[in-house]
Amino acid sequence: MPQGQSQTAPVGLAALRRRIGELERQTHALEREQPGPVLPWRFALEPLDRALPQDGLAPDGVHEAAGVRNMDAAAAAGFLAALLRRLERRDGRDIVLVCQDPAAADRFGRPYGPGWIALGHDPQRFVIARPARARDVPWIVEQGLRSACLAAVVAETGRIGFTASRRLSMAAREGHTPALLLCLDGIETASAAATRWHVTSLPGGADPFDARAFAAPRWRLDLKRCRGGKPQRRDVEWDHETGDFRMAAALAHRPAVPVADGAAEPGRAPQRLAG
Amino acid sequence: MRLADARALLPGLVTRPADPEADLRALRQLVLWCIRFTPWSAADGDSGILLDITGCAHLHGGEEAMIDAIASRLSAFGIEARPGLADTPGAAWAVARFADGNSRIAAPGCARTALAPLPVEALRITPGTSAALRRLGLTTIGALAGIPRAALSRRFTSAEIGESVLLRLDQAFGDRDEPISPLTPPPVFLEALKFSEPLLEPGGLEMAADRMAAALATRLRAAQRGARALSLWFFRVDGTTARCDIATSQATCNASHFLRLFAERLGTVDPGFGVEAAALHATCVEPLEDRQPDLLERSRAGGDLGLLVDRLATRLGADAVFRLEPVDSHIPERAQRAVAAGLTASRQDAPPTLAPRPFRLLAPPEEVRAGAETPDGPPLFFTWRRTFHRIARAAGPERISPEWWIRDGSGDVRDYYRVEDTEGHRYWLYRAGLYGSDSNRSPRWFLHGFYG
Repeated sequence: MPQGQSQTAPVGLAALRRRIGELERQTHALEREQPGPVLPWRFALEPLDRALPQDGLAPDGVHEAAGVRNMDAAAAAGFLAALLRRLERRDGRDIVLVCQDPAAADRFGRPYGPGWIALGHDPQRFVIARPARARDVPWIVEQGLRSACLAAVVAETGRIGFTASRRLSMAAREGHTPALLLCLDGIETASAAATRWHVTSLPGGADPFDARAFAAPRWRLDLKRCRGGKPQRRDVEWDHETGDFRMAAALAHRPAVPVADGAAEPGRAPQRLAG
Repeated sequence: MRLADARALLPGLVTRPADPEADLRALRQLVLWCIRFTPWSAADGDSGILLDITGCAHLHGGEEAMIDAIASRLSAFGIEARPGLADTPGAAWAVARFADGNSRIAAPGCARTALAPLPVEALRITPGTSAALRRLGLTTIGALAGIPRAALSRRFTSAEIGESVLLRLDQAFGDRDEPISPLTPPPVFLEALKFSEPLLEPGGLEMAADRMAAALATRLRAAQRGARALSLWFFRVDGTTARCDIATSQATCNASHFLRLFAERLGTVDPGFGVEAAALHATCVEPLEDRQPDLLERSRAGGDLGLLVDRLATRLGADAVFRLEPVDSHIPERAQRAVAAGLTASRQDAPPTLAPRPFRLLAPPEEVRAGAETPDGPPLFFTWRRTFHRIARAAGPERISPEWWIRDGSGDVRDYYRVEDTEGHRYWLYRAGLYGSDSNRSPRWFLHGFYG
């Protein structure tokens, strides 16, 4: 039993940490048993969901996405839009706070309502905050999370430190609101987010009805950080008509073999870093 | 006289449709303005104003001077007014409408003599009643007043008519009381605090704001009003003032809501040498609707969206927090507009678009260098911000013509292409202009948006 163990364990920092971890796990388990305000937030893709704790994304956590190459930021934003689409709330909250970074508009534009409609969202449910200074962004996200009246908070952020990231995680848990952060500065070293995804866009297939048009977007999702889960990499497609993820089956230039968990193939790493 | 007859007599006659409601509103405004003469003022019917000037005349230099002042100020507004002054509302009504210029003021206690020569119509009775009185030979109030009361009421066919004549007569002579209910001015929602010792600590300012907000919220709630804008004033001992303004997206009488919004600003207030007084003024007040909470509206239980929007707007500026609303326009950058976030506007349906739109739009579109196989064909490659993109797929064109029917609607015809480059990034490109339409200018390419 955990209590017996901790009594016999030598008194020290490590033992204390372990004890706190046990207590936290117990309270989390208790919270999980109660019917939450959110339906399970899943990819509905067996390998991806299995890698996540609770078999899905934490509906009260901070989830970060970053593009690997410069123009992958748009793909990461698209991935977050897909995640937001898969979030279903039971408690009637339907307003999403969208916070824009002043630098992001210059880099790859601003949210465009008709386009969000095409992705299956209702842009009239978005409340958009456009601060003049980038340092207001974490404050806005925190206010949105703590207000406990939003379905989710979506934000573009520059570099936020570990402390700010930890603050946002606590605010998300307090307000039972998820935060979807698009990290513009790419790879951050330290973060307290529940999950952190690196997104690379891949050449997609053709529209079956129009060979010249592109079809569903195809992304390489690299789950870099996941509290209570295991990092892995998957190639997926997202269908904006149905809102479903699916494994990218036929790849343009190589055989359709899903990438093994965590195994970085030697030939692929330089390709990811290029650009 | 009918309008047609009047037009026949005077062809240049200027006519306006009657608007009795607007007249009443204007009269109400005029009554409010009359509060400058006496606090006890009320509208009288649809064409008169009753002022109870008891104890006010000396402030304006006597009754004569006051009457002249009222008449001259009203005529400066372009309003032709007939003032009259008497002991009772009924007598004043009569002298204002029927007395000639020199006898507009009935001296105290002389209502009977002043009214005696006036016609019976001056008694505020219906035209039918006055016609009946005239048939009886009673043309003046003096003649009417000379008849014994019992005999007078017997002369009418119904007791009610006789009673109404007697009531008006008694009211005019002051034998029966006729109260005026004044039109009170809209209440001013202002709370003020004076301190015995000047405040130097920011904490003291917060406490002062706390107390005033609680008092103001109580008053607002009692009046079923909510504040949309508030000003908080601090008066320093050296005669300077500090002021913070907040605005809310919806009328509210919630003290904690005010305080949270002021909390953003209070930190910047400098007490200086000390603050000796403070005031909280609801500068914009709206009626507050009591809303019954929706059974399914459980989202309100957790928090208040209005409060969040107000907090963000207080710190970031009112323009920085908004919602997007679809606009029926084919030009992509005009197809949405920002509206205030607080308004729970009616949901509008977005006009359908032919091809899926990008979810991020560059504003303004940026020019790129692009190449195409044929002059009016889809692009093969483009260079944006010194990065070369080779295009793998390009669907289009979707031709969007300028909206020539509105101002600033001119421009080039745009051919939009949805393209994907070899790395899998998706763009929305367009070619502005057509080949051959203008020999001096060849079409240019622009990048307008990004797909996920």
